[in-house]
Amino acid sequence: MPEPSAQPLIEADVVGRLMGQPLLARFPMEGSVSGHHRSPHRGSSVEFAEYRNYVPGDDIRRLDWRVFARTDRYYLKEFEAETNLRCYVVLDCSGSMGFEGEHGTRLEYAKRLAATLSYLIINQGDAAGLLQVTEKTATEIPPRRNASHLQVILDTLGQARPTGETRLVPMLHELAEKARRRALVVILSDCFCDGDALRDALQHLRFQKHDLALFHLLDPLELDFEFDRPVRFVDMEGSQSIITEPATVRAEYQAQLKRFLGKLRDDCHEFNADYRRVTLDRPYGEVMADFLTERSRHATRA
Amino acid sequence: MTFLQPLILWGLPLVLLPVIIHFINRMRHRPRQWAAMQFLLAATRSSTSHAKLRNLLIMLMRILAVLALLIFLARPLIGGWMGWALAAAPDTILLLVDRSASMDSRVAGADESRREYALRMLADAAGEFEHSSHLVLLDSATRQASELPSAASLLEWPDTKPTDTAADLPAMLQSALGWLIENKAGTAEIWIASDLQASNWKPDDPRWKTLITAFDSLPQKVRVRLLATTQESPGNASISIAQLSRQQASGKGEVRLAVDLNRSQANAGTATITRTLNDVATELEARVTGQSTRWRHRFAVGDQAGGWGKLELPADGNPRDNITYYRYSDEHPPSGLVVTESALGPLWQAAASVAGQAGRTPAKRYAPGDVTPADLRDATLVVWQAPLPEGEMANALRRFADEGGRVVFFPPGQPSTARFAGLGWGEKQTSGDADFAVGRWDEDQGPLANTDEGLLLPLAKLGVQQRQQVVGQAAVLAAFDDAQALLVRQALGQGEVYFCTILPLLAWSEMGDGLVVVPMLQRLLAAGSRRLQRDSVAECGQVSAGDLQLEWTSAETGLRGDVQTQAGVYKNGDRWLLVNRPAAEDEFERVEDSAVAGLFGSLPFQLFQAQRDDTALQGEIWRLFLFLMLLALLIEAWLIRPSSMAEVAPLKPQPAAA
Repeated sequence: MPEPSAQPLIEADVVGRLMGQPLLARFPMEGSVSGHHRSPHRGSSVEFAEYRNYVPGDDIRRLDWRVFARTDRYYLKEFEAETNLRCYVVLDCSGSMGFEGEHGTRLEYAKRLAATLSYLIINQGDAAGLLQVTEKTATEIPPRRNASHLQVILDTLGQARPTGETRLVPMLHELAEKARRRALVVILSDCFCDGDALRDALQHLRFQKHDLALFHLLDPLELDFEFDRPVRFVDMEGSQSIITEPATVRAEYQAQLKRFLGKLRDDCHEFNADYRRVTLDRPYGEVMADFLTERSRHATRA
Repeated sequence: MTFLQPLILWGLPLVLLPVIIHFINRMRHRPRQWAAMQFLLAATRSSTSHAKLRNLLIMLMRILAVLALLIFLARPLIGGWMGWALAAAPDTILLLVDRSASMDSRVAGADESRREYALRMLADAAGEFEHSSHLVLLDSATRQASELPSAASLLEWPDTKPTDTAADLPAMLQSALGWLIENKAGTAEIWIASDLQASNWKPDDPRWKTLITAFDSLPQKVRVRLLATTQESPGNASISIAQLSRQQASGKGEVRLAVDLNRSQANAGTATITRTLNDVATELEARVTGQSTRWRHRFAVGDQAGGWGKLELPADGNPRDNITYYRYSDEHPPSGLVVTESALGPLWQAAASVAGQAGRTPAKRYAPGDVTPADLRDATLVVWQAPLPEGEMANALRRFADEGGRVVFFPPGQPSTARFAGLGWGEKQTSGDADFAVGRWDEDQGPLANTDEGLLLPLAKLGVQQRQQVVGQAAVLAAFDDAQALLVRQALGQGEVYFCTILPLLAWSEMGDGLVVVPMLQRLLAAGSRRLQRDSVAECGQVSAGDLQLEWTSAETGLRGDVQTQAGVYKNGDRWLLVNRPAAEDEFERVEDSAVAGLFGSLPFQLFQAQRDDTALQGEIWRLFLFLMLLALLIEAWLIRPSSMAEVAPLKPQPAAA
């Protein structure tokens, strides 16, 4: 079991670079307070939304008198509501997340992503929560906006250990049912589970109108599968082991993996989930920067 | 396949090295915690059979590469001569070279003889072994073994030069066997170069069986390789003298020759023959029909002393068989001797009479009890019609024949247990209603041969009512229809003994008219005159040991000559020696390949047919194995190459966000 890295989960220079870039939701969110994110409801922001006919009961202060003067009809001028963001960071802590390559363990990488993301969210006044999925338990920290909440998240992340088989799929279904209000769900996982089941779970989240971002974390060694001698591969989520000559199965292994990755990406694209394949040799700051930039660009277009 | 560095083959177990390394490698596997196990399991499941096949091929290529490397280092030789069986270079190579006259036939389309071709090929082939094997030459003419300093020296070695001899392959192998036993040689190979001439190989010779058994029983392994120089030759004709006699005709001395002309073509035509007589050349023409023609030629020599000469054909496919030498001796008048008590005495005397300047002189006649060994002194022919001689007279008669005299026995009429030269008289037989008819006789040579004009003796018309059987084994020169012998011949030293089974009596046969008996006795009378001559006649390679001790000078060149290998007329003081090529060398018959292979029985045998097989006896084929090794390594590299980048590439780049 790899020991947690001595490296801090949040690095000042990384967050320093990222703080200038807000994290925006791609879809309207349902928050509890006013914020920077679009809401499905009409509100009092400066962003014009639409005109609609007056119906009895409407607040007459919202009548557009200028339109009434011109057309002699009652219209209400509506504005976009802006609310805060509720973000669930789902961290897969199954045994396979403990995979250690040349660039450290996958879980450590995921933890840094989760911590940095939580910091950015809370720092911009939104709510961040954490769902830590292990074999037996699922530790859930509901989204909060206060700064002290970040410490709770960081402490929880610090305690996270990779163990057992993954329960990511049932936990995602559970989250989809539990989180009634629209939120941003960021999943950090290797997704080494049944592809169809994962697809259903992601679709379930999207059906609940959650904005979905999947960080698919893969080590370059898992992609390249480059070994120079026979290896006994031991399953990290079970007791299975296999001795093989990697060179002889490499092509087929890569073909299988490629098929899986392609399908997962296509599925995510199909229901408009934000799929991001991340190899662990990339600096996580760079990955986060790309993520934020993409989101901002999307929000601008919208 | 033979290896010049066979010790390297001890490294053949190294071919298992890739397998051992493979298993060691598998045992040295590292454990690795792996997350993407589901793909690895699926990949292993689906690629098992394919991977196994590929692994097997990779292993095979590695083994093949090591094997090819080892064989390459062992320097293999291969070719029609060497075959494909694996063998190490032998300790000794015995080169048995056929130097017979027939080996000097030209090879069609090449400017060399079969012998030169064979020597060149053998030298090339032996060159590969000269550092690893002893090269020992054993030629057909001398049958003496001599060790060669190098393979190239074979081409210039004196014992490989052309000869007029015949080869005796069983005798050569016997010599080779003797050499192997005497020198306690290790592994040996016998390389034979020959044109497979049947008269040289003697496939029916009983010596073959004992020879092969002896080779088989040798402690070392002996392998035989035969280079059969059976290529096509340009047209060839050979000439040889079958008979020569000096006779008095019309009071003048003349020499009569019966010349055999053998040709590879069968078309009729005219052959130009250059006759040299005492250094004077005369061009003659002879009509030839078919492949074999007997040409009779006579020329007057008067009363001059003996002389010599040669008959020569124009240059053709084999220059070696175009010359035949002859020597006629000083005048020695033949003399007949008749031993009988019967009334046929005068007839025998007349038939065996000798022509002289003063007319014909009848043969001397004695009663069996009166004749003494001294009476044989000047005789050349003895006609004996009486019970077979015994005791001192029999011995004297044997000596007479041994010296070259001719003896003819006619039936005494009574069976007897006495024997002379292994032959005796059996029962007298009388024909029934039909006479005994003569079925066949030797028309080419012997006392019943055709006349100089080519006319048959009238044996076919000879009516025979009585005959007396001959007991014993002898060559049958004439036989009746029922296969009973009429005339048989037994060689005895330089002379011959004849048994004629009929008498020139009317109660016995119609031979009394003289048309058969006279030419028969006259020919024997002339042939027997050789007894009185001091000339020696021998076939090349068969010169007697006594003659070989003398120093002979060639009458043609005046130089000292090698009578054992070169035909010619030689002189030593007042003695003459005529050496000619053996007549059997002129025969074109060859032994079939399968028959040759059969002769060597169970001995490892490899035949290289120069006519059919490749032009090289063998070649080093290390290049082939080097190429094989490289090919195996290339295939192995291709098999173990990483998967193509096209499959891997899409996995690597960071995909764009959805």
